[in-house]
Amino acid sequence: MEKPVLMRLENISKQYHMGEVIVEALKETSLDIYAGELLVIVGPSGSGKSTLLNLVGGMDKPSSGQIFFNGKELSVAGDQDLTMYRRQEIGFVFQFYNLIPDLTAAENVALAAELVEEPLTVDEALQGVGLLERSRHFPSQLSGGEQQRVSIARALVKKPHFLLCDEPTGALDYQTGKSILGLLDRVKNMGTTVIIVTHNTAIAAMAERVIRMRSGDIIEVLVNENPLPPERIEW
Amino acid sequence: MQVLNRRLIRMIWNTRGQFLALIAIVMLGVLIYISMTTAYMNLSRSQQSFYQENEFADYFLHVVKAPEAEIKRVANIPGVVQVTGRIQKDISFIKADGGRGTLRLTSYKLPVEGELNQIQVDSGRMFAREGGQGIEVLVDPKFAAANRLKPGSLIKVIAGSREVSLNVVGTAVSPEFIYLMKDSASLMPEPEEFGVLMMPHENAEQITDMQGQINQFLLKLVPGADEEEIKEQAEAILEPYGNLAAYNRDKQLSHLSLKGELEGLRVSSRFLPLIFFLVAAGIQFLLLGRMIKAQRSSIGVMKALGLGNMRIVMHFLSYPVCVSLLGSLLGSIFGIYLASIFSQMYAMFFNLPASIGGINGTAILYSVILTLLVGISSGLLACRGILLIQPAEAMRTAAPVGGGSIALEKLSFFWNSLNSAWRMSLRTMFRNRTRFAVTVLGVAGTVVILLMAFFSSDATDYMMERHFSMENRYDFRVTFNAPLKQSDITYWQQWEEIEAMEASLQVPIKVSKDFSGSDEKIRSEDDSLQGLRVGQKLLGIYLADGQELQVPENGVLLSERTAKKLAVQVGDWIWVESKMGVGPSHQARLKVTGIPQALLGGGSYVSLETANRLLGESRLFNSLLLKIDTAKSEQFKNRLKNMTAISSVLSRTKERANWDKMMESMIFFIGVMILFGGVLGLVIIYNSSLMNFNERKKELASLRVIGFTRQEIGNLLFKETAVQAIAGIIIGLPLGRWLGGLYIGAVSTDLYTMPVIIYTQSYFIVAGCTIIFILAGFGLVLPKLKQIDLVEALKNQD
Repeated sequence: MEKPVLMRLENISKQYHMGEVIVEALKETSLDIYAGELLVIVGPSGSGKSTLLNLVGGMDKPSSGQIFFNGKELSVAGDQDLTMYRRQEIGFVFQFYNLIPDLTAAENVALAAELVEEPLTVDEALQGVGLLERSRHFPSQLSGGEQQRVSIARALVKKPHFLLCDEPTGALDYQTGKSILGLLDRVKNMGTTVIIVTHNTAIAAMAERVIRMRSGDIIEVLVNENPLPPERIEW
Repeated sequence: MQVLNRRLIRMIWNTRGQFLALIAIVMLGVLIYISMTTAYMNLSRSQQSFYQENEFADYFLHVVKAPEAEIKRVANIPGVVQVTGRIQKDISFIKADGGRGTLRLTSYKLPVEGELNQIQVDSGRMFAREGGQGIEVLVDPKFAAANRLKPGSLIKVIAGSREVSLNVVGTAVSPEFIYLMKDSASLMPEPEEFGVLMMPHENAEQITDMQGQINQFLLKLVPGADEEEIKEQAEAILEPYGNLAAYNRDKQLSHLSLKGELEGLRVSSRFLPLIFFLVAAGIQFLLLGRMIKAQRSSIGVMKALGLGNMRIVMHFLSYPVCVSLLGSLLGSIFGIYLASIFSQMYAMFFNLPASIGGINGTAILYSVILTLLVGISSGLLACRGILLIQPAEAMRTAAPVGGGSIALEKLSFFWNSLNSAWRMSLRTMFRNRTRFAVTVLGVAGTVVILLMAFFSSDATDYMMERHFSMENRYDFRVTFNAPLKQSDITYWQQWEEIEAMEASLQVPIKVSKDFSGSDEKIRSEDDSLQGLRVGQKLLGIYLADGQELQVPENGVLLSERTAKKLAVQVGDWIWVESKMGVGPSHQARLKVTGIPQALLGGGSYVSLETANRLLGESRLFNSLLLKIDTAKSEQFKNRLKNMTAISSVLSRTKERANWDKMMESMIFFIGVMILFGGVLGLVIIYNSSLMNFNERKKELASLRVIGFTRQEIGNLLFKETAVQAIAGIIIGLPLGRWLGGLYIGAVSTDLYTMPVIIYTQSYFIVAGCTIIFILAGFGLVLPKLKQIDLVEALKNQD
């Protein structure tokens, strides 16, 4: 069954000026992202995978090319529009969680919930990641895995179209990492488009599509007909 | 170690905004310190040397008239080193426009050397005993300037009932005439109306008709002499000649005014810079502490390379030392400039021999030492962290900050009503307690400085309002050479310019408490008594709480100052002795029916009848309070010019105009204070906001990724600024009020008590100004929000 296209990237490229050097972070590339899919982007450092994620997440604009989200052109949007796009459509999960240390788990989630019109309740979001009973703990009182769950709850409470995860298991041990992946798989099954950027090629096994990148180029788009459930992935 | 020096320069460059802000605060502290201390030291030094060189007397005795021979007897009193006798008397002079003014004729024996209260010629030459050219006189420089008198000018005075022309040969100054006011009821010097006339003793005898007589004894005492004892003996000797007054330097008007000014400078020069130095110390401590934390791994590497703690501490200490040195350099330059403005101002009001300007090396040295101490001690406190850093550990990532509950959360009703943003801000503030405290105190300091600026203007304004609108409702007070009879009033009643008129009899008095029978030692105080008609309208008499009093038929309204000194209360009886200078002295026992408070001068009040009874007279008066038809005021003044019986005319409009002129210089200083306070507020908020921003850059970047707009991030940061600002204002307002009271307590003199008055509106204006300065300081940080790099949020920790 063909899923509808949620985002279309057409001939986008991205160059950074690092002092006097121009870094070609992303060479001319096109990509469609389907609604409700789980997409894994893999590649070594400097392959352009984070740049791609930033463009999808509205944190950056391409140097050339066009990005359409639900038919609307994102590549020409202003700063304010991009902020609104991130606010309403994007949930972001960071490698180091980036929770606010001065807020409890519930408050971290609530802070994001206050940004949108019809969020999930904080309890629903925390229930979803299995952390309801730890809601009054501060980040410093939580383990890494727990913090990452809060971070996912914070992303999901806004009911975004996209859940963008930058190395979500990068700072976690094996078991905890697997449980986070399980959580992300469940999120996808509830209809959210999940994009995971990672070094860890093993994670690709759970994806419906895998994009392999190198030196700013997409070198392969692999469709995985039989994604593995996360608990069966090993690395 | 050149590399570390280069690193220091980069450290300064990277924090250039904060570095400059710190220099600004240190500079202001030094500027205030140097300008005020220089002014204080210069003024105080020139006062002391002037007093010494011209043999300023320690004690003063006034009598009606005594033979010169009594000088020897007074000089024989144990404890008295030297006595100078002289004639001093207020006489009228005729101004260029025909109006009348008063000159304080003062006699000097020639040669003046060896006598007390010598004069020093300022321009022209010393007078000589009368030759063929008429009487030679000197006048004080301010009077000469105001009346355009130069050596060679003539001045017309009224001696007895004759007009006499005197030759002005120059101007001269003396320690007793530095700040020249006619009496303690005067608001300020009025050199057009009042001055000092100095002349050879023989000529003074002639003019005052006091051959072989004197009316003042100036005493030099041995250090530590018992003044009370000497006063008693002297008064016993002089009893037959009519004792009028006996007082020491501390009651001498010029000395008292100068002392008040010096005291004000001394207190301000210590207190005001303190605020700036404390804030500078606080900011340096925080900034350095933050830098050390941020450069933890670099410090670890330095240690691993073999640099000792001492060397690294010195490296970081160089930062506050640079701040201190640059701040004191700039502060000294501007401070010397401001000190010269002070000196110009003092030269405007004080009759001092030479220029009192000059650079004061001691003040500069002190301020450099002081700023270095502030910088180094706050730096050392912050550098403690360096010693704790272990190289191996330092090169690993620091543990993340731990959030936690704060005490405020126990107020669950309050806490639950807050949204997450507020909770975050409050917890952040609590976690950074030192920064919070420094910022709040800095804002409070700003409020205190602003409030002090408004306070001096409010208190003066209030005093003026009371003086001009409530207490003195007449337009002119005409004082006569000799008392007039009630019947003479009919002459004045014919004048069409006069709308209302009340007679007054002013009598200098000596007051003592009536102990009837008790053995308590009787103390007495000099005061002035004014007899007014019962139901007086042209003079308002008020209690401290503002309630108006009427002159009683029989009792006395005793001035607050005298009542306090004699511990007299309403209902007590007092003895009042007249010290009129003519005729025998009389005594009367009066009941105190009220204790009015006057902020300036003031005195005691009785009914006209009681005053007459005291003198054993009836229906006499010696001055008139007049309300004039404003349209005819010129006509009235012209009419006065032709009257010889008048000794002085006090015009309220003129007084007010003079006052307003003096206020102009005050406005300059209020403006400067507001500016300084403003810079302090701006810098403290700029610094704490910037530190807050820098520390939380990554956190804020994450929030931007989540979908916070820049404005929302700004609001988030502003919450903390707002809480600190409000806390600072809440602390600062009462603190300023309290310090104002302390300041007044420190600088109040016998001459006047400044009320601790701050108008309600001033509190609002101060709060408003503080908020503006705070917004400006915060506004300087806002552009930084654009620098938040979203991708920063994705990077590894630190």
